[in-house]
Order: sequence, then structure tokens, then C-alpha cells
Amino acid sequence: MILIPILALIVGVLLGRLVAQPVGGIAGTYIAVAVLAGLDTICGGLRSNLEGKFHTDIFVSGFFSNVVIAFFLAWLGDRIGINLFLASAVILGGRIFVNLSLIRRFALTKWQDYRERKRIQRQAQQTQQMNAT
Amino acid sequence: MNPFATRIQHNPVIWSFSAMLAVLGFLGSLAWLTNRERINTFDPDQATRIRSGTLDVQAEYQKLSSEVTKLREETTKFQNAAANESGQAKLLNKSLQDAKKLAGLTELEGPGISITLRDNLKGKSDSPIIDTVVHDTDVLRVVNELWNAGSEAISVNGHRVVTGTNFRCVGSVMLVNNIQCASPITIQALGDPKTLMGAMNLPGGIIYEIKDSGGAGMVQIDSIKKMRLPAYAGSTTYKFAVVPKDAK
Repeated sequence: MILIPILALIVGVLLGRLVAQPVGGIAGTYIAVAVLAGLDTICGGLRSNLEGKFHTDIFVSGFFSNVVIAFFLAWLGDRIGINLFLASAVILGGRIFVNLSLIRRFALTKWQDYRERKRIQRQAQQTQQMNAT
Repeated sequence: MNPFATRIQHNPVIWSFSAMLAVLGFLGSLAWLTNRERINTFDPDQATRIRSGTLDVQAEYQKLSSEVTKLREETTKFQNAAANESGQAKLLNKSLQDAKKLAGLTELEGPGISITLRDNLKGKSDSPIIDTVVHDTDVLRVVNELWNAGSEAISVNGHRVVTGTNFRCVGSVMLVNNIQCASPITIQALGDPKTLMGAMNLPGGIIYEIKDSGGAGMVQIDSIKKMRLPAYAGSTTYKFAVVPKDAK
């Protein structure tokens, strides 16, 4: 099941390589910020999924609006002479870190829960066997 | 019934993630390619290093160019000798010599001024070092100002300024006509010394600017009664440009 998103990512990368037209000039920087925004949204979606608060419409609209906003913020920053590119890079980078740490925490808790449950199950089985004999 | 399909129906999350990841992958590889393209162009430091690979050719170039000068002098002599033969040839030779004068292919002498620009590394300690060294743009602007003031011929460190002459900083040295020079840079200009001096001492002009940013020790201007400028010693071969047949 987890293979489908990974496959999709690979397909996307291959498609990008197939097009293989380096975006000329300064627009390349904007695309880099847009990629960062997309990565941030993916992490946020993963986290909300683990928290059980995932909504597809919010996720999809958030992805596209974040990408577009990041792109145009970087563009606007260049037009008016302040480096808004940096602002998006710092904020999005920070959010990616926060989201990833939360995901890690969730995953760890889940794993520990699982082990704890197994242990209790084993104990229960042992006591059952002892009672039976 | 496809078991795969039923499992998918329960998991819209996977599909939205997959779609977004596909878009992200596309954008990511695009950004990657763009960035690689940017890295492939040389940065100035690398370009400098590559260009300095031509340094050992310079000595040979100097030798050959002095030979060129000698040969050109001989040509002038021959042309003058040939002109002694008849009046028509004399006229022809005169216009030829005028053209050579204009092109900077003959030595010239006369009154003028001499400007020396030198790095001022201890004079004004509060200036940033970039202001206290002589740059290609300084030389370029001084030369431009001198032409503007009515100079008839200019040489920089003994290299005649002709059409196509360029000044470039490469690392710590400057290239004039692709020959290496370093501070101090001496610019000699033939023309009316008074006019040229006036142009150089113009308040707010280029000399003023250099002195202002790098200290007064950077510039020295002398008026000279009679000086001699060398002829251009570089290549005069044209590879691409030809005179059209119907040229007037």
C-alpha cells in the first residue's frame, strides 16, 4: 500500500526528467521555493493523517495554494527588492522540521504501544497455559 | 472482484498523497535540473584560474609583437621610398600614412600629459581596499575622458590604445590589449596639455572620484612638452569583416 505514493513520486520525477527543460533565469529559484512548500504540505498531511484529522480537500487545496503562494511570494520579493524567498525558505524549512519531529513521535509511540501490547498478550498466554497445566 | 480496488476505496488518503507526491516529484526534478544548469556556468574565480592558463603564452606574445613593430617600421620606410618615385604615389602614400596615424600603426610625438595611477595601499587606512587599488574601470574611464577632452593618441603602460583595445582586471593584474600590466599604470595622451589638464582636474570628474575614494596619492598628473607614443604592436588581422565591393 505504501508503494503507491512512492511509485507516484518516481513517476513524477521521471516525468520531470523527460521534460528536461531547465527553467530559465530567476524563475528557477521560485520553483525551488514551490518545491519546499509542496514538501511541507506533504509532511503536514502525513502528520494530520497520523493525528486522525486528515481531510483530502484541505490537503489537496493546501498543497496547491502553498506551492502557488510560495512561488509568487518569491517573485514579489524580487520585484520589490526584499528577499521574501528567504522568508518562505526559513518558515517552510522550520515547519518541515516540526512536522517530521511530530511524525517521528507518533511513529515511536505507536511502535512502543505495539510492543507493549505484544508483551501483555504473551504474558496473558503464559498465565493461561500455566492455568491450563 | 478486484481485491485491490476494494482496498483502495477505503483509502482515499493514499491517492491524494500519491497525486501530490507526483506533482512534487515533477517540480523537484525540474528545480534540480535548473540548479544544475546554474552550477555549470563558471563563477568568476574559476574563470580567472582558467584564463591564467594563458600566462606562459604572454612572453612569446611580447617577443612576436616587438617583431611586428620592427616589420611595420620597415614597411613605412618602404612606402616612403616608393613614394619618392612619382607624384601620384606620393599622394597615395600621404593618405596611407594618415590612415596609419588614425589607426595607431605609427609612432606619434608631440605635447601632452601623463597620468600615473598607482595602488594606494597605505595612504588612506579608512577606505576599503577595493577603493585603493587601480581597477580596469578606472583606466577605462580616464581614457574615455581623455578622448573626450580632445586627445589625439593615447597609450597605457606603453601599449597604444587603438580600436578594439580593451582593459580588463584579471586577479591582481590588468590586461591592456591582452598584455599584462600592473600598478602603477601610466596613461600618456597626446594633445593640448592645458585642455587635457583642465579636463582631468574637473571637479566631480573621474580623477576627482579616484582621489576621493582611494586617497590623493593614487593619482599623479604631469604636463609634458614633448613625448613619443609607441605604435600598436598587436594583431591587425581580420577574420570575419571584409570591405564590401560597393563601399564608398
